[in-house]
Amino acid sequence: MTSRPNGEPLVRLSGVDKWFGELHVLQDIDLSIDRGEVVVVIGPSGSGKSTLCRAINRLEPIDKGEITIDGARLPDEGKELARLRADVGMVFQSFNLFAHKTVLENVALGPVKVRKKSKAEAEGRARELLERVGVASQADKYPAQLSGGQQQRVAIARALAMEPKVMLFDEPTSALDPEMINEVLDVMVGLAKDGMTMVVVTHEMGFARRAANRVVFMDGGRIVETAEPETFFTSPQSDRAKDFLSKILTH
Amino acid sequence: MQFRRTALVAALSVVALTAAACGDDAEDSAAEPTVAEAPEFEAGTTMAEIAEAGTLRVGTKFDQPGFGLENLEGEVEGFDVEVAKIIAGALGIAPEDIEWVQTPSSVREDVIEGDEVDMVVATYTINDKRKERISFAGPYYEAGQQIMVASDNDEIDGPESLKENPDAKVCSVTGSTPAEQIKQYLASPDQLTLFDEYSQCADSLRNGQVDAVTTDNVILLGFVSESDGAFKLVGEQFTQEPYGIGITKGDVAFCEFINDTLQENEDAYIEAWESTAGEVEGTETPELPEPAPCA
Amino acid sequence: MSPVFDNIDQFVDGFLTSLEIILWALAGALPLGVLIAACRVSPIPPLRAFGTFWVTTFRNTPLTVVLFFCAFGFPELGINRSFFFFGVLGLVLYTSAFVCEAVRSGINSVPAGQAEAARSIGLNFTQGLRYVVLPQALRTVVPPLGSVLIAMMKNSAVVGAFGVGGDLWSTGASLTSAQGYPTFPVYVGGVAVGYLIITLTAGALLQLLERKVAIAR
Ligand SMILES: Nc1ncnc2c1ncn2[C@@H]1O[C@H](COP(=O)(O)OP(=O)(O)OP(=O)(O)O)[C@@H](O)[C@H]1O
Ligand SMILES: [Mg+2]
Repeated sequence: MTSRPNGEPLVRLSGVDKWFGELHVLQDIDLSIDRGEVVVVIGPSGSGKSTLCRAINRLEPIDKGEITIDGARLPDEGKELARLRADVGMVFQSFNLFAHKTVLENVALGPVKVRKKSKAEAEGRARELLERVGVASQADKYPAQLSGGQQQRVAIARALAMEPKVMLFDEPTSALDPEMINEVLDVMVGLAKDGMTMVVVTHEMGFARRAANRVVFMDGGRIVETAEPETFFTSPQSDRAKDFLSKILTH
Repeated sequence: MQFRRTALVAALSVVALTAAACGDDAEDSAAEPTVAEAPEFEAGTTMAEIAEAGTLRVGTKFDQPGFGLENLEGEVEGFDVEVAKIIAGALGIAPEDIEWVQTPSSVREDVIEGDEVDMVVATYTINDKRKERISFAGPYYEAGQQIMVASDNDEIDGPESLKENPDAKVCSVTGSTPAEQIKQYLASPDQLTLFDEYSQCADSLRNGQVDAVTTDNVILLGFVSESDGAFKLVGEQFTQEPYGIGITKGDVAFCEFINDTLQENEDAYIEAWESTAGEVEGTETPELPEPAPCA
Repeated sequence: MSPVFDNIDQFVDGFLTSLEIILWALAGALPLGVLIAACRVSPIPPLRAFGTFWVTTFRNTPLTVVLFFCAFGFPELGINRSFFFFGVLGLVLYTSAFVCEAVRSGINSVPAGQAEAARSIGLNFTQGLRYVVLPQALRTVVPPLGSVLIAMMKNSAVVGAFGVGGDLWSTGASLTSAQGYPTFPVYVGGVAVGYLIITLTAGALLQLLERKVAIAR
């Protein structure tokens, strides 16, 4: 992790294009994310935010351009890719906890099978992480027995257990009841404070204001505008961003 | 496969030549048996019922070359078929009025007991177990079990060599008398390989899966003659397989009628043999055996 | 029923031979079917094509033809093994296609997010299948897989006709046609009872398994 000079971006997308059939979902995307930087991605439904996130750890292959993580180009398939994915944590809108495994097993699985840690070591570390996200008492339950907020915090712990270089969040709070949103956002703010590099797709302006270094506004598969959170929310430059903000602010 | 095709072509030309030699009678190489004009039978007998019905229902095999085989036109032909025609003739029933019922080995007793046929002529070996359920007329032919091996095999020269070669496999048909008979000559039951059809045994002998095939001599002779020298028969016939005609148990009158009919038609019997199974090279025309007493 | 009791030793032998065929076929068809299912859902196109080819071939070919190919085709190619080996092989090849499809339907019943989450923590395809997807597929797989396996047990009766012999079905055939016992009691009282003992036991075990995987959620 220390092998690269600090100036080098941790994640770099250059000239990335992706099509779903006829649909051009990512259009000539250029984006660099520095070590320790927190980037919030915002934009209307269907603008390609999720696809961008999924492209960064190659859950979706891209058609053109290049994506590098810590200087290494994303490989196509196989062992190399699996290793690279282990370095990129992902948190999904619908949690996607392993339904047949306990909370503790969910968090320890990756370290044991991918990082080849001993079961005892992995479980010890898993308990620490569960403590950190505030669900230590739920360690032996199954995901279905937890509330949505608890499940999402377990999912964050599961991603953290791999000691990722960067974490991707795709609308981590939009499947949650309002009273549970903050417990998840607080955990994320904590991560940001601790220096984690994060890409977060969210419409939570509070989070963007508290934790983000930069807001990226997407529309129609393009990055339309990039700005500091305060600047973006108070005086957006593009008409599309103004239009979008006026819609979400009236809600 | 090449030699098989050659053998088939050869066999077909023989048939064609035979047919041509018969001149006018070219459409059927077997002479038509005599059909009695309105024969009289004592009321209540099976013969009277059949004559009255005007049709005879005969169970036979449809897959046994030389004895009962369905040809490409859908007609059955063979020695068993000709024997049935002789009996039908004595009942006043023409060959075209016979109803042929396909009767594989495993259902022969059942079709008689179930009154689905009037008689079964289907390479049907007479034995006591079967006599518990049905009666036999005849015998009309003495077959005997033999062993067939590949021509280059000089280890096996009869059933006795099977015990001496415990690795040797012998093939027969599931549920057949020959399969039961051969067991006493085996060192272990694993030596016996069973199929539904003898042709599968012959294929397995050809491709080396088994070392010998055993069943009645007549069936084996058919394979030897088709094999173009690849197979040979070894040893003597080691069983007596009297073929009988299966009828309803205890129908003594019908049994005696069949036996008398055969005795009275010895020429037709010889003709029946020579136009069917007797065409296979190396067979001897049999003498009509003495009938067994009816019971 | 006396034809059965008179020949009880033959029926026991036949039963054991059938059981032996079934256990070998089970040991072969289950892992092979899972392997082919893994091919069919794998990210590697040639493997997927191979899996599809396998299933299309063996699912659409009558069992007797597969058995025929094994018992006569291999020897014709100069490969001589026992008929028992060929018979079990044929049953394994044929059944594996059905096992594959049952397992694949189970895999498809697991939400796609599970496999994505597995990949996102760095598990490779095989690990994701093994530790995340297949254990969850098990729950939906047990009932259809049970039907496939019970069908296989009944199909084992066909194997006997390809040179194996001595199984339940062949024992019945030998008693009725060579030894002249009546068909009905032999097949109903002996052969059918023998197969029922096997299939009903299997059915009960499957039900236990179904209950077990249902609780372990
Ligand atoms: N697997 C797919 N196949 C085809 N089209 C897809 C697929 N996934 C997404 N799309 C389409 O691509 C476009 C971008 O989708 P994406 O999910 O990236 O948008 P988004 O910005 O995340 O939207 P939302 O806010 O609704 O989550 C949409 O029009 C969507 O319908
Ligand atoms: Mg989305």
